[in-house]
Amino acid sequence: MPVADLLLPFGLTLDFFTDTGFWVGVGVLAGVYVLVALGLQLNVGFTGMTNFGAAGFMAVGAYAMAILVLKAGFSFWLSLPCAMLIAIGFGLLIGLPSLRLRADYFAIATIALAEIVRIIAQNARGLTGGNQGLFCAEGGAGACYNDAWTSLSSTIEGWFENLGWSDPEALAPLLLAVWLTVVLATLGLRFIQGSPWGRVLRAIREDEDAAEALGKNTLVHKLQSLAIAAAIGAMAGFFLALDLATVHPEDYEPLVTFFAYGVLVLGGLASYWGVLVGGVIFWAVLEGTRFVELPISETQIASIRFFIVGVVLILLMAFRPQGMFGKREEMVLGE
Amino acid sequence: MEARPLTLGAEESPWRRLRDAADRRPAATALILIGAAVLVMIGAKGLHAVAQGGLNGLSLGAIYALGAVGLTLVYGILRLVNFAHGDFLTFGAYMAYMVNVTWSLPLVAGIAFAMLATAVLAVFFELIMWGPMRARRAGLLQLLLMSIGLALVIRSALQYIWSTDIRLLDVNTTDTVGFLGLLIGRTQLIVIAVGVVVLVAIGLMLRQTLLGKRMRALADDLELAEVAGIDTRRVIAYTWLFAGALAGLAGVLSASITSLNPNFGFDLLLPIFAAVIMGGIGDAYGALAAGMLLGVITEWSVLFIDARWKIGVGFVVLIATLIIRPQGIFGKAKVV
Amino acid sequence: MNEAETAPAKANGKPILEADGVVKRFGGIRAVDGATLDVREGSVTALIGPNGAGKTTLFNVVTGFYRPDGGRASFQGNQILGASPHAIARLGMVRTFQITKALARMPVIDNMMLAAPDQPGERLLNVILRPGEVRRREAEVREQALELLEIFDLARLADEYAGTLSGGQRKLLELARALMTRPRLLLLDEPMAGINPTLGRRLLDHMQRLRAEQGVSFLFIEHDMEVVMGHSDRVIVMAEGRVIADGEPHEVRSDPAVIDAYLGSGTVIEEPAR
Repeated sequence: MPVADLLLPFGLTLDFFTDTGFWVGVGVLAGVYVLVALGLQLNVGFTGMTNFGAAGFMAVGAYAMAILVLKAGFSFWLSLPCAMLIAIGFGLLIGLPSLRLRADYFAIATIALAEIVRIIAQNARGLTGGNQGLFCAEGGAGACYNDAWTSLSSTIEGWFENLGWSDPEALAPLLLAVWLTVVLATLGLRFIQGSPWGRVLRAIREDEDAAEALGKNTLVHKLQSLAIAAAIGAMAGFFLALDLATVHPEDYEPLVTFFAYGVLVLGGLASYWGVLVGGVIFWAVLEGTRFVELPISETQIASIRFFIVGVVLILLMAFRPQGMFGKREEMVLGE
Repeated sequence: MEARPLTLGAEESPWRRLRDAADRRPAATALILIGAAVLVMIGAKGLHAVAQGGLNGLSLGAIYALGAVGLTLVYGILRLVNFAHGDFLTFGAYMAYMVNVTWSLPLVAGIAFAMLATAVLAVFFELIMWGPMRARRAGLLQLLLMSIGLALVIRSALQYIWSTDIRLLDVNTTDTVGFLGLLIGRTQLIVIAVGVVVLVAIGLMLRQTLLGKRMRALADDLELAEVAGIDTRRVIAYTWLFAGALAGLAGVLSASITSLNPNFGFDLLLPIFAAVIMGGIGDAYGALAAGMLLGVITEWSVLFIDARWKIGVGFVVLIATLIIRPQGIFGKAKVV
Repeated sequence: MNEAETAPAKANGKPILEADGVVKRFGGIRAVDGATLDVREGSVTALIGPNGAGKTTLFNVVTGFYRPDGGRASFQGNQILGASPHAIARLGMVRTFQITKALARMPVIDNMMLAAPDQPGERLLNVILRPGEVRRREAEVREQALELLEIFDLARLADEYAGTLSGGQRKLLELARALMTRPRLLLLDEPMAGINPTLGRRLLDHMQRLRAEQGVSFLFIEHDMEVVMGHSDRVIVMAEGRVIADGEPHEVRSDPAVIDAYLGSGTVIEEPAR
């Protein structure tokens, strides 16, 4: 086929376009990262807070959920709101001492705090399973934290089959759940952003002193912004935990935050739908590297992935900091 | 019209006075606190343990200090939070690996090559990236994300060539040296020696040479230096050379006492940031002292907590510094 | 506008702002070194002094932007030294900045609506649970904002980004925005700097009108002696961190201590042209 001939020099195969399993996988990852990016957008794009601790929110959410289910016997569905509350609490906890720091210190502080979470996850073996992570209760024959989800997922697969999709992908229900959440989150964020509350956030972004001088309690608003990002990050953590079927410290390293920023700046720091599109493109390109058929090893393909992200970040910041869909005037990055 | 008589301020509590005194003499306060902590530790764990921990900490401290001095000058002058600095360390280590292991040359050659290569790398990116971005008045977040992008680029290139396998430099890892009842690995001792010599040389260079003084002037106040007629572009280029060389050296030293993998530099970055902030941004001497101190604190922590938590110590110190005294131990104004 | 409205009204004697021995140090320098003054309710008071006298620093301390190192201050009887800036602003003492802080990437109308007090929509809970109330107040606020913008002839720029405004327009916006907060005392830091005389006249007229109609008090830092002498009821002079003179304009002008303080800086205090 002529199309295949076109792709071959790039080392790609036609599978890239026809493998539904691939695209469903991309969709799930994209959805997860878009959620994280939406939280970051609220912090960075609308409140002017350079939050680099997103991976920490995800980790707290995912671990709290798994620990509540596996160690405290919570039901999966109850553990979700509880884990979200824990993540919000964590967000407030890290916000109180660090929000008064200036932007670059705040960035460093948030990365450090996220790393502390990860180190605790790696080393508090009794609680978090250490480097093995969490999946099933001790003994292997016990409950797994995603059991409740697995059964719901099968039910949804049944609906798909009824609708005519024979042999739906295993991850399809998760894809649906993630993107439903993404759309609801986007609509919700748009709504509160357009409110007077959102206006105060934007004022804080522009000039915190001016906002204070007009009677606005900037600390409270910044904490609220952080708390919402924590809640959204926790949700992203849940979905990731369901996607990978394990909760593992390595899945919450700073690289995750950096990738989320990549999604955010690709789509546009102040554009909601831009973030959604950016997420899909980002992960389609990254996961697409799996189809590269060049004579190189797996690790080398992985390094190509990082290389692409790095180059994209550099080029975007240099030549189009407002991203694909951002407006130049709303560009938050050039101060 | 007569002037209003001066009214004395409200009574200042003794606690406030103490804090003000501590504020005004931060180095002395830090010394006192550390001295007190050391006495407590000796009381709890004995002199030998504390001394041994301190000695071990010096090698880690030297690495932190070397990394921190370069980073703080760049940060101070350019207001650039360089997240790629850790990967300079990694880059240096792999350059040394290439010379020392792949080409089987002595480690000294490896060190020289690593420092040279990393210096060149640093200046290269200043010329094609940082300089132009500054000219365009790029904002903080823009530069930060660019540095992250750069970090990924460097790391991925190294990983592409050398994979994620853990590698070792061709150094003596078994011999130990003993003195005063303390033991230390021979290589570690060399690391400390090299580190201390280079750090002293840097200290002298910054104080005695014209270039050094200019660097410090720029780190203190860039606009003022420009107005004073200093050729800032030149000094900035030298600063990058300097920062790169030191980072490369730090990377090689770290690799010689532990190992190499593409991520190790980034893992060291946050503790190095801790040293930079503790020492006061832009203050090379502060970074030096803070780096050594941090290394020693990290090793001392092992006396009290399980060794696997050791990597977290740098992060905790960073957070503590940001909460208690963000301008660093030696920093001046409360510019936060 | 007739004579009765433009002549400086006799200020009612009660102080609305009192500062007592305020001290602010920066390292070894005492920028404010025991400043004591008061502003009478309903007055237009000028705060003058050579550069480095500590005027803006005093503003910053008294409005909560700097932590004080000593002294006391009260606004309408409330102790304010050490309080946070937003709390002080909420009490009714609002300040503008020397270098205008127009919120550049927000439209002018947003700048204005932001400043309105008592907005239920600023609490997240209300946004979610009481959208109707939020919407109603928003409409009110928008109307008020447009009215105020009209007075300053900025209404046609309502939807423009504040960053696109000229320097003089930004100064007016900053004042208009401060007025949206319905302040009792307005602290203006060099309101005349950088704007042309016509605009300046309009600003001063509006200040007098506010004082006359609503009893708003003003304390403004100013270097333009013509403005100071011609438009203020009272002049407070600071030098080297302390208040060295305090009285009616003509008294202060001839005070030897004041002339002394200014001689060093070369400013000449002249009789304003009539």
